[in-house]
Amino acid sequence: MNKLWNKLKRWFIEMGSPPLFYNWSSKIIPWLGLLTLLVLLIGLYWGLFVAPMDYKQGDVYRIIYIHVPSAILGESIFIFMAICGFINVIWRAKISGMMLKAAAPIGMSFTLLVLVTGSVWGKPTWGTWWVWDARLTSTLILFFIYAALIGLHSTIEDKTKADRAVSILSIVGVAIIPVIKKSVDWWQTLHQPSTFTITSSPSMSPDMYIPLLVCLIGFYLFFAYMLTLNLRNVVIERESSKNWVKHVMDQESK
Amino acid sequence: MHGSISGWLTIILKRDLLIAFRKSSTYITPLVFFLIVVTFFPLALGPQESLLSSLAPGVIWIAALLASLLAVETIFSDDFRDGTLDEFFISLEPSFILVFAKVLIHWLITGLPILFASLIAAIVLYLPFESFIPMLLSLILGTSFMSLLGALGAALSLGRSAILSAIIVLPFSIPTLLMGTSVISSSLTNQDFSGFLMIMGAMLAIGIPLLCLLTVEALLLNYE
Amino acid sequence: MLPNLKVENLSCVRSNKVVFENINFEVFPGENLEIIGSNGSGKTTLLRTILGLIKPEKGIINWLDENDKFNDFRTFECFYQGHQLGIKNLLTVYENLKLTHGAKGMDENKIYECLERVGLMRINELASNLSVGQRKRISIARWLVKNFKIYFIDEPFSALDDEATSMIEHLIQELNSKGCSFVITGHRPSQVKANRISI
Repeated sequence: MNKLWNKLKRWFIEMGSPPLFYNWSSKIIPWLGLLTLLVLLIGLYWGLFVAPMDYKQGDVYRIIYIHVPSAILGESIFIFMAICGFINVIWRAKISGMMLKAAAPIGMSFTLLVLVTGSVWGKPTWGTWWVWDARLTSTLILFFIYAALIGLHSTIEDKTKADRAVSILSIVGVAIIPVIKKSVDWWQTLHQPSTFTITSSPSMSPDMYIPLLVCLIGFYLFFAYMLTLNLRNVVIERESSKNWVKHVMDQESK
Repeated sequence: MHGSISGWLTIILKRDLLIAFRKSSTYITPLVFFLIVVTFFPLALGPQESLLSSLAPGVIWIAALLASLLAVETIFSDDFRDGTLDEFFISLEPSFILVFAKVLIHWLITGLPILFASLIAAIVLYLPFESFIPMLLSLILGTSFMSLLGALGAALSLGRSAILSAIIVLPFSIPTLLMGTSVISSSLTNQDFSGFLMIMGAMLAIGIPLLCLLTVEALLLNYE
Repeated sequence: MLPNLKVENLSCVRSNKVVFENINFEVFPGENLEIIGSNGSGKTTLLRTILGLIKPEKGIINWLDENDKFNDFRTFECFYQGHQLGIKNLLTVYENLKLTHGAKGMDENKIYECLERVGLMRINELASNLSVGQRKRISIARWLVKNFKIYFIDEPFSALDDEATSMIEHLIQELNSKGCSFVITGHRPSQVKANRISI
């Protein structure tokens, strides 16, 4: 047990070194990609075609299989970024800063997906393209915060400095997100006592629940895959002056 | 050296307030901007009393948010340029207390004038007199938090465009906006607004140490 | 006698480029250090790294405390004057002195003394109305507000005429005799009695 723990610790510390990470990720990428594809295909097919129809909303509710996992991913990625940010600020581990940079566009895309699928869900069910319900509104604000983070990063020329700046902001972000959600909830009940949420799922039977879970796992795998790909690019870009990068570039061009 | 923390604090306060009052635009601009934004609403939406008084909480708060963002850029830029900021970090005084001093000064120059201007806004937007005190209380807590956020935004975007600090700060100020307007709206319908005030107070209590510390980190980034 | 500041094998890297490396020196009380280098050679970065504004890539910076022990943190105040002088334009000469760190509780006469010593007469004039040379004198007057153990001055002699230069040289000598040290930078060696290193 102890040996396993030590091995894990060593792997963790080694991953902090960019060249080792790059090496390890080159081997992992194809398998991760395959697994992601598999799980996503299974989950989406199951949810979009096989799972039973909802008697209230018909087939439209199936958008839930994309909408809900995207929402969960959008928020999880933000928490992930805040953890990386915290590590970067306190311990100055450059790779955690790079992870932040790699994860941000993915998180923002998922958040955008939530808004779009929410919209698409709303039109046939409630007749409008947008509804200021608590969930969608908080997601919109989360989207703005992602935009602020990415915008801040692009303004700073020195990219390691940019990573640290965004790390600082992500810490504030993760602290304020719960406050935002609570206050948006409050705001909604204050102005719309008869609350109906577009994003509330009907009480789900296991026939619907399990494919949702599979999709969620698939989305998480997709995030891991994209994160690894992105991180590889970021690592190469940041360390471009180092020898190991030149070595790798030579290898890959052969 | 003990007890010199308050010494350093008083020096910074005296210094920055003296400078701020020498250049009256520093504290006049936020006030005027606030009033202009408030004026746009009746101009754009019509002067009916019922409409304006129902919009009043939101309008006053939006104007307060935008006006307090206006002066944010200058919190650290002057000191950065003339070398005074270096002194902060080189001295043995805890840097976050010095950042707190700068936040306090920003509030005195921006938040306080907005408080006075809000009374004028409340009158022209037909806000009932009973809501004045809740409005002032919410503005005191809210504009202080804005100054805190603004300091972080200023530190992160030091030397870059002013709009950037606004884009960083605005999404984070949404809870303040929602809480602040809820305080005033609740007072209009005679509901209890103390809960919202307590939350704003709690945000301030947690925000002061957290944001001042993070602002110190952000300022140090500019030296790398 | 022990040095107040000891630096060993200091190196600093910025944006993947080495700014300086292998810097070693000691600063004893009453003795000076002069850092010579051309523009952009990293003199300002070196001062800032020693004072803790920038994190070095490697190396040791040791400060002496009251118990004659060396620590990697500082326990005494130092004076730093960068290129920008630390002068507030919208304050008068007098206010710039009065509202400077270390001046707490200083009475008026002492402030007038400091100003006289550097030859500044227009005490109630706004700093923005003065010439560069006169503003430099305000900054130098700030040196006298308190006796700091070590003064870090970035390019003290730039943009100064002969009279001002010799005034500074005498001032440094005077402060040396009180046990204060100066770490100064410049493009070429000055007349100040100091150990010299080049970047």
